[in-house]
Amino acid sequence: MNHLNQLFGVSSGAGPYRDAVTGLESLNFSDEIQQLVTMPPENTGSFTALLEMPATQAMELFTSSSPATVPRIAGDISPPTLHLYGSLNFPPAIAAEQNGNFSGDGESVPSSFSERVKSEPDDSYPTVENQNHNKRKTRGKKVKSSTKKNKSSEEESEKLPYVHVRARRGQATNNHSLAERARREKINARMKLLQELVPGCDKIQGTALVLDEIINHVQTLQNQVEMLSMRLAAVNPRIDFNLDSILASQNGSLMDGSFNGEAYHQMQQWPLDGYHQPEWGREEDHHQAHFLMGSGTLHPNQVKMEL
Amino acid sequence: MVDSLFPTIDTTDDVASPESRRKRRRISETSKEAAESSSEAQRINEESSKRWRTNRVQQIYASKLIEALRRVRQRSNDAGKITSVAREIRDTADRVLAASARGTSRWSRSILAARVRACLKKHKKAKSKGTRKPRKDTAAERRRVEKLPAVERKLKILGRLVPGCRKVDVPNLLDEASDYIAALEMQVRAMESLAELLAAAAPPSTTLTRP
Repeated sequence: MNHLNQLFGVSSGAGPYRDAVTGLESLNFSDEIQQLVTMPPENTGSFTALLEMPATQAMELFTSSSPATVPRIAGDISPPTLHLYGSLNFPPAIAAEQNGNFSGDGESVPSSFSERVKSEPDDSYPTVENQNHNKRKTRGKKVKSSTKKNKSSEEESEKLPYVHVRARRGQATNNHSLAERARREKINARMKLLQELVPGCDKIQGTALVLDEIINHVQTLQNQVEMLSMRLAAVNPRIDFNLDSILASQNGSLMDGSFNGEAYHQMQQWPLDGYHQPEWGREEDHHQAHFLMGSGTLHPNQVKMEL
Repeated sequence: MVDSLFPTIDTTDDVASPESRRKRRRISETSKEAAESSSEAQRINEESSKRWRTNRVQQIYASKLIEALRRVRQRSNDAGKITSVAREIRDTADRVLAASARGTSRWSRSILAARVRACLKKHKKAKSKGTRKPRKDTAAERRRVEKLPAVERKLKILGRLVPGCRKVDVPNLLDEASDYIAALEMQVRAMESLAELLAAAAPPSTTLTRP
């Protein structure tokens, strides 16, 4: 029992997993589990250690146990897939239980397979599942979104703790490549969003050039803000604040009536805090509005409408 | 005021619309039809591009901006150099923008936190200015840094540009960058229209000096 937990590299969420294992043992599969337990001592470490070994070596270790005793659970995994594995005698029942029980766990994504970007050490569960299923044409793999490193994308982790990635036909279905592909797809999706946001990035091919454009765009926008702030600084001393209060009065009438149907981002009308002082005269300074209208420089129609 | 800043409601869906004086606001719910495999990406896209283009967001930002700028004016007491005032204005605008984000994005939290940290330092009279000392510019270090793949280098640069995203991993960095770009665009539009409004409302005899 403990060996099994060690094998599977249980870091957290061990509760449901143990339940799964005990449940399975009660189903008279204890002999297969015993065989797993009697694997060579170097395997009693975390199962992830196995995965990081070269594939051939891992397969050899698996062949040490007899494949003939792989349990056949009715309706779980079709026998042909088990044969394809040959020597993988991983009890698919446990994997199936994992499927059921780990959908609610929030653990780190197995994203350490790439060498490029540093990420946290992977978890072995999803990869273990895939070993049993990945020879099928389409297979679902559960990849838990990382909740440790991001504070900002909580929206994805709240709504969708698992991202189901299908292994497409004809593609490598190694554990590593599945995780890598999921990660790449995430990154590519976001790059596509950025491309749409930045004008003129649709034509460009290649990540590096697109990133160049994005960086350029951000710098341009920041420079524009700087320029505009200088303009405002130059303009400001010449304006008395009557203008602002008039505009504020317009604003007051506006905010009450114009809740746009875009309920996506529920921004309530903020209580005057932080940058606000509750000094906006909503009813006052109408005479100054007339002054402005007399000059005819503002949008007179709108000013008239609001006042 | 806010209505004159963002006057028209435009139902067109194009993102790359030319920036005109009348701001376009998007009120339609349809997101990008571009092939986005995961619904998650679509959600992010809707979130980042929509949230900075709604009517309400723009109104809120504009109103807060005006108020903040008034206080800047009062605080600076018509300081002599325009550049220092300009810097204050830019910082104020950034803080208002970050406040508009409602703390959902990392860069916004970093902008607001930076100000708190600066205030604390001022109160504690900590004279230590060296917040982040640059890495030792040894030849070996430079060689190692330049050997990183080009995309990685650019990602690092992008991380430096977006406030508070130096040590963020790649997908989140891209998320933050898209949100930041959308917010910056809204900020530029708001400040542009505000500047034009003020310039138009100013007595026509004054000459605006452009530094």
